Amino acid sequence: MKQSKYGLALLLFLAIPIVAHLLESIMIMHMHMQMPLLVISGFLMAPFFQRQFPKFFASWNENGIPGILLFTVIMVYWMIPRTMDDALTELPVEVFKFISLPFLAGIPLRDSWRKISNNSQRVTFIVFTILFYIMGFLYIKVPVQLCNNYLLIDQITLGWGYLTLAICFTTYLVYIAFIDSPKPTEVD
Amino acid sequence: MNTSLVNRKETSKLYEKSIKLLGMNLADAKLSKAYMSVAFIALLIGGVLGLLQGLERAGLIQLPYWFNYYQVLTAHGILLVVVLTAFFTIGYFYAGLSHTLGGLLPQVRTMAWIGFWLKVVGLVIAVVPIIMNEATVMYTFYPPMAASPYFYIGLALIVVGIWLCAFGAFISVAKWRKAHPGQHIPIFAFFATGVFILLFFGSIGVTIEVFTLIAWSFGWKPTVNVLLSRTLFWSFGHTLVNIWYLTAVSAWYVVVPKIIGGRRFSDTLTRVVIILLVITNIPGGFHHQIVDPGMSQTLKFLHMFMSISIGFPSLMTAFAMFYVLEKTGRKLGGKGLLGWLKKLPWGDVRFLAPMIAMIAFIPAGAGGIAQTTNQLNQVVHNTLWVVGHFHLTVGTSVILTFFGISYWLIPYISKRRLTPRMNKVGVVQTIIWTLGMLFMSGSMHLVGLLGSPRRTSYTTYGENATALGWDPYLIFLAVGGTLLIIGVLIQVFAVFHMMFFAPKGTTEFPIAEPEVSEEKTPAWTDRWGLWIVIMLIVVSMGYVVPLVDLIVNAPPGSPPFKTW
Repeated sequence: MKQSKYGLALLLFLAIPIVAHLLESIMIMHMHMQMPLLVISGFLMAPFFQRQFPKFFASWNENGIPGILLFTVIMVYWMIPRTMDDALTELPVEVFKFISLPFLAGIPLRDSWRKISNNSQRVTFIVFTILFYIMGFLYIKVPVQLCNNYLLIDQITLGWGYLTLAICFTTYLVYIAFIDSPKPTEVD
Repeated sequence: MNTSLVNRKETSKLYEKSIKLLGMNLADAKLSKAYMSVAFIALLIGGVLGLLQGLERAGLIQLPYWFNYYQVLTAHGILLVVVLTAFFTIGYFYAGLSHTLGGLLPQVRTMAWIGFWLKVVGLVIAVVPIIMNEATVMYTFYPPMAASPYFYIGLALIVVGIWLCAFGAFISVAKWRKAHPGQHIPIFAFFATGVFILLFFGSIGVTIEVFTLIAWSFGWKPTVNVLLSRTLFWSFGHTLVNIWYLTAVSAWYVVVPKIIGGRRFSDTLTRVVIILLVITNIPGGFHHQIVDPGMSQTLKFLHMFMSISIGFPSLMTAFAMFYVLEKTGRKLGGKGLLGWLKKLPWGDVRFLAPMIAMIAFIPAGAGGIAQTTNQLNQVVHNTLWVVGHFHLTVGTSVILTFFGISYWLIPYISKRRLTPRMNKVGVVQTIIWTLGMLFMSGSMHLVGLLGSPRRTSYTTYGENATALGWDPYLIFLAVGGTLLIIGVLIQVFAVFHMMFFAPKGTTEFPIAEPEVSEEKTPAWTDRWGLWIVIMLIVVSMGYVVPLVDLIVNAPPGSPPFKTW
């Protein structure tokens, strides 16, 4: 329960206008700090909702696939450059960001991750890794501004952010594939 | 319990017995001896150069034009901060890997030998231009000062040599894990893994820099991005500092408790400290660039946070160490508030040296935190304070721990004993070193606060009163330097005496056991792949924004300059 409180506190902290403004003022912080933190806040709050509405999660997210799909859709939506612009200029979209990322991405992720099979986990990971490579090249290579609100240099920086993250994910995938598959039962 | 497990346990028991009877595997011992020999020869030469430097800096002597102050400064830096520490660290950890993992694999030993020769050849290639006054760029080799390309080629070879050793260690640990499923990596090997991960990932940036500088100094590339080079350098420079620190800490956690007859503090906490140091380390390098132009205040502020976060595992270490010392002291009969202190084996150099090192780390760490702060850094950045600081951290906390280690490690790898007489020599050496550093580092700190600059030979700035006011402190600096060279001579004598002339016998590799009522160490601590990925993410968070800015918005680059 403590975790859920921390999650809520994080969400409220991120919603403080000055904090939101600071994080949104730099493109890479907007996409790679504020948005993941919003997802994390939902991830932390998930146990509260799982306990309050066990039937809902059991009937709508029995095997975890609907949840992980919802998570993916929401994440992909917020990767589109246009949506960031909208969030900055339209208040309803900004509000949608603060609702969708914690509640429609963070919570389903937590609820689904353990329900889906190891292979599905890997597929999700691989899909996001490929997506990050694509987004990285897109943001680095496109010669025009994709967002009205951010400069070209911000865009290139974000592209490199995506690319380095994709490299990190690849490192991890290679590590679990060849060196050390996690075996939770293997404790001495 | 199945038969294979029983067999494995019996084999490991048998191995432990054979190690007790025979000591270290001879081929592994030879490797560590080679590393230790180079390390302490570097200490001797680097120490003598340090004395010359100290005497000139105090205005007592004037070095000849064909072997000037800045040449000496460059060689002193390279020999002590790169060669001594790298060779010692590798020799020490390879001895420990051999001991805790049941001998090195033949291919790993070969890799370590190739690494050894690459480093030695690299060192020679780097030192020749320094002696010829073609690479008087100091050990940070900041462009636009350009050294002879061979200097950079030498450095690149040293790095490749270090990488081979790092991969050798990774292979050893991976093989061991495969052969011991379900068991935790032994704590010493866990430290080694952390150190070699930092050595490898921390040196990627500087390698890129060095390759650029090679092309630049050969004239293939007309200009170089100065600020980018400095940033890449410090991504390594600061990590190197923490590699020394982590090496010293390994002895504090694992070896010191055994020597004083106690047990290790929480195994989980130890592992978490190592993981945290590995994850948070590399972006900390920015605090060396606080006065660099071209980086925003916001960025410097964010990086100050990264630097301070490195202080957190250090505070955990301080807590753990005091716990172990007090508990052991009380077990030995110490009463009252501080009575346990008296019960500790102060007459044993294997304890005394690392203990003084730990005590020195209290002001050294505090000074480091002060310097990380933007405003305070601006007061001391280009002064002798900084030199005093790293002579207290590296020159005392780290090196005294290394000296303390040498009094059991050298006999261990040489199959000899530490005699009570040599122990006394060690105690005297430790006291001389401590006094020398008190004088030298202390006066450097003070005179730095008064404004005396670093990286500058002796000058009175035309008999300026302020500059003349620094003189008394500089004399103390020279006194400290003189005491330190005595310490160096005794230490080098002790090392080679223990290696070749001490009485034959067996010496134990001291690894303390964890406490009995120890909680189970969680399995996640062993997931190094995950920690590496988190480390890489933290590095990306730290470096993507400034590096893109430095590259995309770069000013015209600089051609090479020879300022000397």
